[in-house]
Amino acid sequence: MNAVLSRLPLRHSLRHNDGALIKAAVVLLLLFITWLPLAAQAQALSLVNGDSTQKVALGDLRDRSDTTFTIFDPYQGREVEMRGVSFRDFLIEHFGAVPPTLHFTAWDDYEVSLGGWDDPSWYLVTMEDDEPLTLRSRGPIRLVEREYSGRDVENLRDFNDWIWMVRSIEAQW
Amino acid sequence: MSQKDPHTSHEPSSIRRGARRLFTWLSLSLMSFVGLMVLIVYEARWVYPEIQAYFSQTGSLTGQQLATRARGYVQRAQEELLVATSPMEINSARHALELAYGLFDVDIYQQKYACTAPSLALIDDIASLLDNDQIDPFDAAHALFIPVQCLTSIEMNQLDRRGMAINHFSDSTRRHNQVLTYSSLLIFALGLLFWAMHQRQLRRTQRATAEKLSWMARAMRDPLTGIGNRSALYQDVVAYSNRSMGLILVDIDFFKQYNDALGHPEGDRLLRQLATLLEEALGEEAKLYRLGGDEFAALLPCPTDKALAQFCEAVQVGLEEAQCPHPAHPDNKGVTLSIGGARFVADATSFAAAYEAADKALYQVKTAGRDGWQITASA
Repeated sequence: MNAVLSRLPLRHSLRHNDGALIKAAVVLLLLFITWLPLAAQAQALSLVNGDSTQKVALGDLRDRSDTTFTIFDPYQGREVEMRGVSFRDFLIEHFGAVPPTLHFTAWDDYEVSLGGWDDPSWYLVTMEDDEPLTLRSRGPIRLVEREYSGRDVENLRDFNDWIWMVRSIEAQW
Repeated sequence: MSQKDPHTSHEPSSIRRGARRLFTWLSLSLMSFVGLMVLIVYEARWVYPEIQAYFSQTGSLTGQQLATRARGYVQRAQEELLVATSPMEINSARHALELAYGLFDVDIYQQKYACTAPSLALIDDIASLLDNDQIDPFDAAHALFIPVQCLTSIEMNQLDRRGMAINHFSDSTRRHNQVLTYSSLLIFALGLLFWAMHQRQLRRTQRATAEKLSWMARAMRDPLTGIGNRSALYQDVVAYSNRSMGLILVDIDFFKQYNDALGHPEGDRLLRQLATLLEEALGEEAKLYRLGGDEFAALLPCPTDKALAQFCEAVQVGLEEAQCPHPAHPDNKGVTLSIGGARFVADATSFAAAYEAADKALYQVKTAGRDGWQITASA
């Protein structure tokens, strides 16, 4: 009982408002702690070229997104306004030329090596319908084609070169 | 030596018709085989993308079902939530849930599977509750069984659909194979048939051409001696165009008396003998002609007048060696010849002059008492 009595004054010694503030602070702290790693993880794109790795901040990439286009996203089944940068120009800017093959790693650990990127129809998209892409919307960076060349939008297999949730791009010469 | 074959200079219309039919059958045959190749290439091009679509998806975005990948992340979130004791661990589970949501939130799942929308809403709710620390991680892991169940059913259904698509593809491939097999056989048989028709027509055309050439050759021959006739001489002159040639005209002296004394069969035999003698005396390059009666001609390459004289002399010597008797010869000799020759550069105009010159030389031999030869200067 002493123990109980000894605890009561401590709890009641705090004012009601003070308790609420502390709770709120704890929740905010927890939220910040939980949000921080995710936010830190998805805030940059790694570009690997041989032994050197370059980080491109997602904010910078969004600021540089200068092309807006509306296309039918076969995965969402609707017209979507996307904003991004030309992937070919992006590659030339960062690798000096378009590498013959690129190895992609996504945030979901999906990895693939693909070639044929010297093609102006590919865009590195960071915004969709004026909203920044997130992991939920298969971002924060997504590689999409702007031209479908008469492909059937009902057949997702025709769009399996799209890369979602891009985390890093490695040039393979 | 470039020679224009005089026998084919005017192709008969029947041969032209045959050649047209030949071309038609050959064209049909070739078209059949080309058609067969096109069919095979078309079928191959049809099958290849289908195979690519169903069997070459490893490593691509849709190589593994999005539902499978989403389920993997939901289950990872469950595992992490069940043992989560720190905000970092809960955060890791939240990250997995975000990935799962992104992979799950696909239009085709929303359209075809009713459980998709509630499951996504549930994941969203759980994520919010976890963010606000309003749900026990164990309870959250338990609640996530609903999306796992939904995703599993989607996977199974998608696998069934994939299986049905593959079966459909397999059936379709089998059908195409049958069509390809029967079509190939039919086209191949047609190709062979057309080829056989082409060969038949080719043989007919060749036979017709050979017969025509044989007939034309016979028309150019003297039936008694087997050597050429006057027409053949004119045609050969054209064939030897622009070459230096010698023309030798040969006439049997007192042939009428020979015939009267020994009869026409013996006269014919003498003509044949003389043809043989001329052939032996003048060599293989000489072409011989019987121009009519007892008059013969020889056409042969001849670079100089001296060579022409030697040919004329060779004929005389050959005849003397043959010692052909002539019982009615006024001079009591054997068979004798009067020979006239002229040299010319072969063409239709100069031949006429050469013929006239050789004939004049022959006449001079005759008037000089026969049994001799003479050539005139080059025409």
